Amino acid sequence: MGKEERREELLKELHEGVVEFEEDQVKEAAQKVLDEGFNAYDAVMNGLAAGMEEVGELYDQQEYFVPELLMCADALYAGLDILQPHITLEDLGDKPKGQVVIGTVQGDVHDIGKNIIKMMFEVAGFTVHDLGRDVPLEKFVEEQLRTDSEIVALSAMMTTTMMGMEKVIKMIKEKNPDVAIMLGGAPVTSDTADLFGADGYAESAGNAVQEAIKMISRLREMQNK
Amino acid sequence: MATMTPKERVKRFFKREPVDEMPCFSGMGTVTVQAIDKMGIRFAQVHGSAEYLAGSAITGAEMFGFDGVVVPYDMCTVPEALGRGVSLYEDAEGILYPTVPSKWATLDEVDMPGDLNVIFEKARMPVVDEALKILVSHDGGRLAVGGWVLGPFTMAGQLIELDVLLKGLKKDKDRVEGFLARMTDLVIAVAKHYEDLGVDYVNIREMGSGTDLLSPRMWKTLIKPNLEKVFSALNAPKINHICGSTDLIIEMMNDCGADAVSVDQKNNVAESRQKLGNDALILGNFDPYGTLVQMAPSEVDGVIQKCIDDGVDAVWPGCDIWPDVKEENMKAYVQAVRKYGKEPTPAVGRV
Repeated sequence: MGKEERREELLKELHEGVVEFEEDQVKEAAQKVLDEGFNAYDAVMNGLAAGMEEVGELYDQQEYFVPELLMCADALYAGLDILQPHITLEDLGDKPKGQVVIGTVQGDVHDIGKNIIKMMFEVAGFTVHDLGRDVPLEKFVEEQLRTDSEIVALSAMMTTTMMGMEKVIKMIKEKNPDVAIMLGGAPVTSDTADLFGADGYAESAGNAVQEAIKMISRLREMQNK
Repeated sequence: MATMTPKERVKRFFKREPVDEMPCFSGMGTVTVQAIDKMGIRFAQVHGSAEYLAGSAITGAEMFGFDGVVVPYDMCTVPEALGRGVSLYEDAEGILYPTVPSKWATLDEVDMPGDLNVIFEKARMPVVDEALKILVSHDGGRLAVGGWVLGPFTMAGQLIELDVLLKGLKKDKDRVEGFLARMTDLVIAVAKHYEDLGVDYVNIREMGSGTDLLSPRMWKTLIKPNLEKVFSALNAPKINHICGSTDLIIEMMNDCGADAVSVDQKNNVAESRQKLGNDALILGNFDPYGTLVQMAPSEVDGVIQKCIDDGVDAVWPGCDIWPDVKEENMKAYVQAVRKYGKEPTPAVGRV
């Protein structure tokens, strides 16, 4: 078997392992990637993340629902844990991807969507500062200042907590206008954040998950250009 | 002119007997800042006092002309009585609903009392009982009083971590099913307790079970049997409420033994009416946040008219009313229900 052929085979094992939520298969394939000297970043993006992209399609087609998505995410993480330590700066274009502060706002204890979005950042090589859930608004501001993160990602699953997101945006913008702010699953640039305001919230855990997976797809497109 | 008392109207409505006009009520919270401000209290204070709960419900009903009142407003009373605590956010500015701070992290940690009746003595359960008693006897029993309990699956999600529950449906099916069976007993115990206190209807809110989260197949095997058990154990008019995507499961929802189904704005009610026929009581389905907080008051009338044109028997908000409503929108909502609710609806005639 040629090297390229073998690479394709391992990518397929990772991809299928994520789609079929077979954690053990993913772990084995990830270990083989390393043992056989293949590129870890390639395996993450074109194996694991590509698998998650298909999971998103299955969700759109109403073949998969949230329980399946969560298990696919577990399988992806199982592979990421093995591969991530072997990703080099060179893989990431010679500079670290940046830092993200993430959390669900106060009043909201639902973190399924947030955890999937967090996974997306980790796949892409970001350093993630996860504040958890039910996070007081000031904490986002403090953590952004402390870490000098470029992105603050706020998640709120419920209509009733999205008001809090609007306040956080204002507080962060006052202190640091250049920070990019993401709400729920929708990405917002520093220029449009005010305009976007509280509209970019996810209506349900399902929607947030869907948005997050779409972002993985967009990221893969960018990487492959 | 109205000839029935609100309570008579709602009671007849659930029996599908002709009413003088469409009752304007809900099976979810309808507390508003206008009522809370009038009482001189803050939202965070309401949840722990029977007088505040009942008072804010009555004040709101009288201010806007509702036929019914519903308490409590938060979804943590039962989890709190089971020792999971409550976050009331007393220091937060603005309105935040209470949440459950310490869910059981795994199924192994679940610790339920053998005799479920002990929970009625714990935490805020006696406060809710007292509030319901005040409402039932208020003004000679004029207003319809609604009780509500989360459905077994949604209750489970308030007590253990949702991802443990969701993944467990696939990976740990037997134990999760066992846990859901215990949740079903819990829901029945609480709902029967509220029946005994004299509520006029009981809304079972299986909110987290729509097809945004679960497949129709999973709904059929894991949600439906438990809801059937709940509804067969209750006597009072009972409602099966699910928010989010319900188009794929509406027929199964209607088949669980409840007197009515309640859905939110994601449901295509015109189609649901076709599927269920004219005998089914359908409640819904406007977006309370969009309609009462965000819209211009002049737009509200059209939203309510559409619900009725699509075929609901009573206009219900799809969820709790977000307390920070515009007063004009609330008035427009109630007025529109009165205006378009004079004609018979598919399941309920007019006197």
